[in-house]
Amino acid sequence: MTDFILNGDPVTVDADPNTPLLWVIREELGLTGTKFGCGIGACGACTVHLDGQPVPSCAVPLNAVEGGAVTTIEGLSPDGTHPVQTAWIEMDVPQCGYCQSGQIMTTAAMIRDVPEPTDADIDTYLAGSLCRCGVYPRIRAAAKRAAELSRG
Amino acid sequence: MTITTRRTFLAGTAAALSVPLVLPATAQTAQELESWPDAFLRIDTDGSVTCILPTCEMGQGTHTGQAQILAEELGADWRSIRIEMPVQPAPPYRLPFGQMRSVGSYGIRYFHDPMRRAAAQMRTMLKQAAANQLGVPKPELTVRDGLVIHEASGREIAFGDLVQAAALLPVPAEPHLLPEAERTLTGQSIPRLDTPAKVRGEAIYAIDVTLPDMAYGAARMAPVFSADVEAMDTASVTDMPGVLAVTQVPRGAVVVAESWWQARAAAEALDITFTATEHDTLDTPGMEATIAEGLSRADVPMTLERGEPMGRLDAATQIIEADYAVPMLAHACMEPINCTAQASEGRTELWAGTQGHDWKRMMLERELGIPADELFINTTYLGGGFGRKTWHHDAVQAVLASRAVGGRPVKVIWTREQDMTFGMYRQTMQARFRASLSESGRIEAMTVRVAGPQMGAAIVQANNMDPFSLLGLVDTPYAIPNYAVDHAVVDIPVPLSAWRAIATSFTGYWMESFIDELAEAAGMDPLAFRLANLPSDARARAVLERVAGMSDWNGAAPEGIHRGISVVEAYGSSVAQVAEIRMDGDRVSVPRVFAAIDCGRAINPGQVETQIQGSVIDALGPTLRAKISLENGAAVQANFPDYPLLRIDEAPDVAVEIVETGAPLGGVGEPGVPPLAGAVCNAVFAATGRRIRSLPLSDHDLA
Repeated sequence: MTDFILNGDPVTVDADPNTPLLWVIREELGLTGTKFGCGIGACGACTVHLDGQPVPSCAVPLNAVEGGAVTTIEGLSPDGTHPVQTAWIEMDVPQCGYCQSGQIMTTAAMIRDVPEPTDADIDTYLAGSLCRCGVYPRIRAAAKRAAELSRG
Repeated sequence: MTITTRRTFLAGTAAALSVPLVLPATAQTAQELESWPDAFLRIDTDGSVTCILPTCEMGQGTHTGQAQILAEELGADWRSIRIEMPVQPAPPYRLPFGQMRSVGSYGIRYFHDPMRRAAAQMRTMLKQAAANQLGVPKPELTVRDGLVIHEASGREIAFGDLVQAAALLPVPAEPHLLPEAERTLTGQSIPRLDTPAKVRGEAIYAIDVTLPDMAYGAARMAPVFSADVEAMDTASVTDMPGVLAVTQVPRGAVVVAESWWQARAAAEALDITFTATEHDTLDTPGMEATIAEGLSRADVPMTLERGEPMGRLDAATQIIEADYAVPMLAHACMEPINCTAQASEGRTELWAGTQGHDWKRMMLERELGIPADELFINTTYLGGGFGRKTWHHDAVQAVLASRAVGGRPVKVIWTREQDMTFGMYRQTMQARFRASLSESGRIEAMTVRVAGPQMGAAIVQANNMDPFSLLGLVDTPYAIPNYAVDHAVVDIPVPLSAWRAIATSFTGYWMESFIDELAEAAGMDPLAFRLANLPSDARARAVLERVAGMSDWNGAAPEGIHRGISVVEAYGSSVAQVAEIRMDGDRVSVPRVFAAIDCGRAINPGQVETQIQGSVIDALGPTLRAKISLENGAAVQANFPDYPLLRIDEAPDVAVEIVETGAPLGGVGEPGVPPLAGAVCNAVFAATGRRIRSLPLSDHDLA
């Protein structure tokens, strides 16, 4: 049994402790907003926050989150109006949208750490998040807008 | 808004209004139409308007654009729009070649007119029903926001309250279409319908489908494309945690378990051997050498010949000649290949993010004996498609897996490595270009010999004309009075697939690079040379001139910047691009690209912009570094680290302008891809004097 906090609520999971967190979140806990992309932490589609830090959940085994706090796209805000989500809607960012949960979770961590991100900051934080549709120009604009909304 | 995964059939009841649709006679017979009750639109008694759409949403924005067309012509309230897709292919949803497929940048350009017509028919019937009810002449009524309104008396009736009466009226054969001035929803950058769900993690892709009692399947497949199972010991994994069944499938096996991670562990542990094949030693150098022999082969049928190209070249004082090549490419959709199936007696249901509805139907009938009327496909969002998701292998596996566990629903998910090494690649191709110029810098004669597989073998036309190999060459917009194109077909034992922009993804690169070589030989500016060799009425001129203006082409390049230009016409649209590159030592970076597109009237300009930006960024990955190569009969590249696609830190700014010339509607999802590689490589020539005649640039130590 592994205990951790998921989106603010305590959960107990009975699964092989080596199972990647991604599959536990998606199959055991039924939250499918976090996506499987590569399985080796190389594309960012599965990014969640573990104790506030963005991590690739496909490369984090379940036993590594014992006692920790995990936030997924579903828990980023109570009603989907986190500044990053608001900015993403304002800029109409997604195309296929499959990578967007990861892009948004990573951006949320960035604007918390870097209230006024430069282009270089955006490159540093988001280079791990692959987008096959190539909506990077809109991601860049929306990330700056999210930071602006967050500063108030 | 989310896609509903199951269509509710209301045909035959008076609870919903729908209109039979008439498409060009090539698409279906009158009898088929007669038997198909509705298409594209349904209005329910609660007033909700459901768009039933023929093409999937894989990022290209087609659902929003199609809904704009339908809602505008109907006079619907945009906020009431819902989206569905049919669970069985049917004539109105099929493309001109008779299949329901989401390919060829057809979504808007092909369905625009039939959708307008269907919506106009429904609007006319609603108006007539209101006229009857209000006792006023129909011309006194207006329709907007889901209401039929009688302005003079201030009365209005909601669509939902008219549906039952309207459904009993005759369908008008020649409905009156809205005048252009009243078309206010199309032509606008309406936000995408799917954006809110996608930024909240609520959008359901195939991989997210969750069904009661669902099990999970993981595959184990032979690395060599044509290999199959030689021996398999299912007992080797049956005792592993969660394992329910092991079933043989073409080229391998699927292990079914209670969770995917359990299934994957068992699939990896499965004791299985694969057959030896004659292609076990296939590698890229050998394959490319074989294709290269085709460049000089005799006895190849001429696909296109006009004027006297050979005679003119023989007589020319100077011949410009160059060989070009491109490697295989993977689609690498962000959502790995997956499919969910529930197979029961007399009914097989799929949950799939698919571009190929009819293809799945045909292949499941052929390979598994499932009659077409017993197959139901619930279409989800697709995490990318790019041509890869027209295929059926995942569906075959999922059905066999479901059968192996007594009809429980099973979701089969491939690993990224399986997705990338399975095959279904963009073909590797080569070409030899030869040309001569007149003294005034006009192309006098040109021959193009293409060598490589004939990917479109099933659709090949007379004289070896394969659109999947030769488009972009046989239909070049340049005025070449003496011109020949042929194709030495060299089969390769690798499964191939349409890849975004298909032939034009490489012919655009070749032709626009070679045109630059000719400009250089003529001593002319690349833009001036192109304009001099395009007919005066060529659609390409307007986008070239626009992109030249956007990039200040005729001014000096900014400090440290080198520029290349190109223009390609594909899928009914014309796109010109200027790439600005920087050299950091030998390393090319691309900080900015300008693009101008003429796609006819832009239904959603914001979506056109983002498609072109995305196409440029998509095309830049394989221009710089990405390729699939083979060793020992199998793919070398297996995951994103060795198949590097563009990341945000290398993504250029892409400035897009839309040029409306009054041309017919063209496609948008693909035409932005073909010009990019040529524009970048022409900039590399401007920077280094090196002609890059094969991709990617990393093979030339430039990236």
